[in-house]
Amino acid sequence: MRAVLTPLVVLLSLALFSTKAVAQCDAEVYSQKALKALQQGYTFVKSYKIDGKNGARKNIEYTCVFSKDTNYMLRIEGKDGGAKGIVATLLDNQRQELTTNNLNGKSYPGWTYRCRSTGIYYILFSFKDSESYCGAAVLGFKR
Amino acid sequence: MQITVERIVTNNRLIWIMKRLYVSFALILVLACSANSPENEQGNNKVDSSLSPKGSKEVSEDNQLPQISDDLVANIMQSIPSPIETSYLIKAIGAPYNVSNLNDPNLAASYSTNYSQALNLGVYSTDLGFANLYDKNQDVLNYLNAVKKLADNLGIGQYFDYKTIKELASTSGNVEQLLQLTQQNLEKIHNHLNEQKRENLTILILTGGWVEALYLTTLVYQKTNNQELKERIGEQKIALDQILTILDIYKTKPNFATLIADLKELSKVYSKVQIKTTVGKPTQKVVNGEIITEDNTISTVIIDDTDVQTIASLIKSIRNKIVKV
Repeated sequence: MRAVLTPLVVLLSLALFSTKAVAQCDAEVYSQKALKALQQGYTFVKSYKIDGKNGARKNIEYTCVFSKDTNYMLRIEGKDGGAKGIVATLLDNQRQELTTNNLNGKSYPGWTYRCRSTGIYYILFSFKDSESYCGAAVLGFKR
Repeated sequence: MQITVERIVTNNRLIWIMKRLYVSFALILVLACSANSPENEQGNNKVDSSLSPKGSKEVSEDNQLPQISDDLVANIMQSIPSPIETSYLIKAIGAPYNVSNLNDPNLAASYSTNYSQALNLGVYSTDLGFANLYDKNQDVLNYLNAVKKLADNLGIGQYFDYKTIKELASTSGNVEQLLQLTQQNLEKIHNHLNEQKRENLTILILTGGWVEALYLTTLVYQKTNNQELKERIGEQKIALDQILTILDIYKTKPNFATLIADLKELSKVYSKVQIKTTVGKPTQKVVNGEIITEDNTISTVIIDDTDVQTIASLIKSIRNKIVKV
């Protein structure tokens, strides 16, 4: 009986632990914070969950379609405070880097991109010296 | 003696049950771990070819049906542009608000299938955004009720903060807050449906919203001949490709085949539309602590007037089929 129960208890504990670890990143909280950081005049369009699963995920990528003659603003908020530890890079459809919030080693709260070409873009989130690997970003637009 | 035998039998049965539980639990754990593995997480796909149906599909060995990962579906759906951007453009060119162009909010109760409810939830969401943008409070409330009705019928009403939106809509001057909250609520609905593995409804909501936005754009273009709107109509080629990619996955679901066939007709016209780009290097500067990047790649949409008219006619027909009771 004990031989059966002991592994069961161990597995149950592991499962509970892993569920707790996965549930640690409440992106919604940071999404709300990022939304407040969006400058006036920008309309919220999408939010992005940035959950690095305690470092297990190195990159999180989202596809988006940007329209020409539109300004897009990205704002990042993370568990480490502000955009600390999170790098958001905008890539074009050829995967060429267009902009990033990590410029010359300095971290910025986000970026503004003045789009002149309608098409598919990628927002790539990665981590640099992050402690929490957790956050969210919001995208706003202004014509 | 009998008691002892019974006890032994009971103990053996208990051990047998525990063993079964143990095996079942271990299996569940293994399955749960593989479902949570980083490779399967949303947004962690290699999406170079994600928006091309050919590039993103695999053929299942079991049933020979095209398969596409849930994460890829979520990523493509997430990338479909919000109709609110088009609504902004329509307002920006100075087009007047015309409620008769929008779907009648009183029809909401008449949509009886999940298919028509989801499509019209998308239609009404675009109309709600439109009414919001023009600060038409009574219409906002009417469309809000229509959205709420359909969301409730689909079992997702709890993700729409009806009370707060209604409060905001009851007074003028809350356009930005209303738009923000509406967008957030719609995003919550999409996320929730995806979590529930009801992505077929999410894509219908997105399709309904997109069809309504394109329909309204063509109506305004026909009256104004505005070149920006003409380009925007042409640019919808990208969104249509994305929508068809996802709809195709659910082609065996009731009514999907007709919708797909109609949109493929539209896609044939869009195949003549060209989006040309002249590549330039972006320029970057920091102004007041803000990174501002100027795109120097310029796109131009090449689209014939006759094709715009055909698109307008087709989208009107598709939209009428959607809103028809």
